[in-house]
Amino acid sequence: MSERKSPGDLMSLLEAQGIRFPTVDADLPKNPASVADVHGTTVIAVKFDQGVLNVADRRATAGNAIFYEEAEKILKLDDETLIAIAGSYATASEAVRFLQHSFKYYARSQLQEMSLEGKLHEVSRVLGRALPGALQGIGGFLPIVSAFDREKREGRIFFYDAMGARFESREFGAAGSGAERIRGAFEYIVRIKRPFRQMKLEEALREALLLLEIAASLDTATSGIRQRLPSAKTVTADGVQELSEDLLRALQRELLAL
Amino acid sequence: MTPYNWQQTLRQKADYVEDRLKEGSPVVALSAQEGILLLTVRRGQRKVFEIYDRLAFSGLGNQSDLEAVRQLAVDFAHAEGFQRSPDDVSIQRVVGVALSPALKRSFSDPLRLPLVFLGLFAQVEPTPEDDLYYLLNYDGEFSLHQRYAAAAGREAGRIEMEQVLSEPKRAPKLEAALEIALRAWTVGRASLKESGERWEERLSQELQQGRVEAALLERDARRDRRFRLLPESEIKPFLPRRS
Repeated sequence: MSERKSPGDLMSLLEAQGIRFPTVDADLPKNPASVADVHGTTVIAVKFDQGVLNVADRRATAGNAIFYEEAEKILKLDDETLIAIAGSYATASEAVRFLQHSFKYYARSQLQEMSLEGKLHEVSRVLGRALPGALQGIGGFLPIVSAFDREKREGRIFFYDAMGARFESREFGAAGSGAERIRGAFEYIVRIKRPFRQMKLEEALREALLLLEIAASLDTATSGIRQRLPSAKTVTADGVQELSEDLLRALQRELLAL
Repeated sequence: MTPYNWQQTLRQKADYVEDRLKEGSPVVALSAQEGILLLTVRRGQRKVFEIYDRLAFSGLGNQSDLEAVRQLAVDFAHAEGFQRSPDDVSIQRVVGVALSPALKRSFSDPLRLPLVFLGLFAQVEPTPEDDLYYLLNYDGEFSLHQRYAAAAGREAGRIEMEQVLSEPKRAPKLEAALEIALRAWTVGRASLKESGERWEERLSQELQQGRVEAALLERDARRDRRFRLLPESEIKPFLPRRS
């Protein structure tokens, strides 16, 4: 029953109890070429009129090899926050587990919910912790955080650099090896069609799936929508929802017929 | 310190704690179809808390002592849940491994003031028959219960509460559970057998100075957090109307 310096802070609690986070050792050999950590590839977030939609292919790669075709890269941090991860799967999944626990720990120990700003800062801290590994060429990852802001009554999208700097996007965000190749297409949609945030869910989903399929045609590490259904989740005022397989399959058929 | 003094010290500490617990507001927990209902009446600070995904806690005693035990439980559960898995955080480990030895040490230390504490912990399971309850005493002793549990400062009150809580043969719906829990709380607070009062009248009197606090630890949680404090609108229909 001792007091700690930072109440409600999971990182402090783990340190006080000698539990190591992150578990990937930063003190690695200078060039760990023999280690090919598993990477998640393309993840996309776009706004729609009720919140934010996240879409991701299911491929994880290790070097040139396809390691897994059922990877889940869109994860729930809490009932109002999604994180889409690209990069090292080991570091990212552990970071997500930490963040999930961190938000709950704060709420339960302090008897109040962590603010959106607090959650976003916690993501930055986690990225900072992963940085030594990332600088060694292993364990780096880039997240996109999508949240429903209850004060502003709107969905919001945030992306980060590898050091933890946070940026907010008005319309869309994308990360992973296929993301850079389709960036222009996002801009094209916003300027020529209309802003994502004005779209209904189905329209935004159609655009996002098409973008994913374009990414797959330009990036070998992205599987797109052709072989397997991608994962798709939304965060709105009603919380996090996984989109139905029927809806995804119908749009898959429509888009592949183009 | 001789053995005689040591025993006397423990007895004095126990008397000190039990004397203070007598006036505490009882706590009720009951398995309902929808989940576990925890209920008490409070005058000041919150008394029903979420500990972890499937665990909740309430108790009576000094607020600062309840808070110290609550923090210890939350800390243990989250460190374990992160290091291993949320499935490895159980009521048995939180109470038996983390809290009970700490309370025992604290109580046995002759130089420390004992914690004025009586805790009720609940763990929700997929079916009401498997729900678990632990009552944890100020000296670290604990007992396991199923279907329901009651914590009260008076032993006679606890027995009367258990009689009320044992009435339903199967886990009731939440609405029926709320009525049973309110009735159980009232008989735990004051023996109605002696006064001959109707429970509704007694509860109505108590609510002039306090308010009902109830939480549901949901059985089938679609949301991440199963614990939710019941809003006044959900409790009010079951409260006696003031004449």
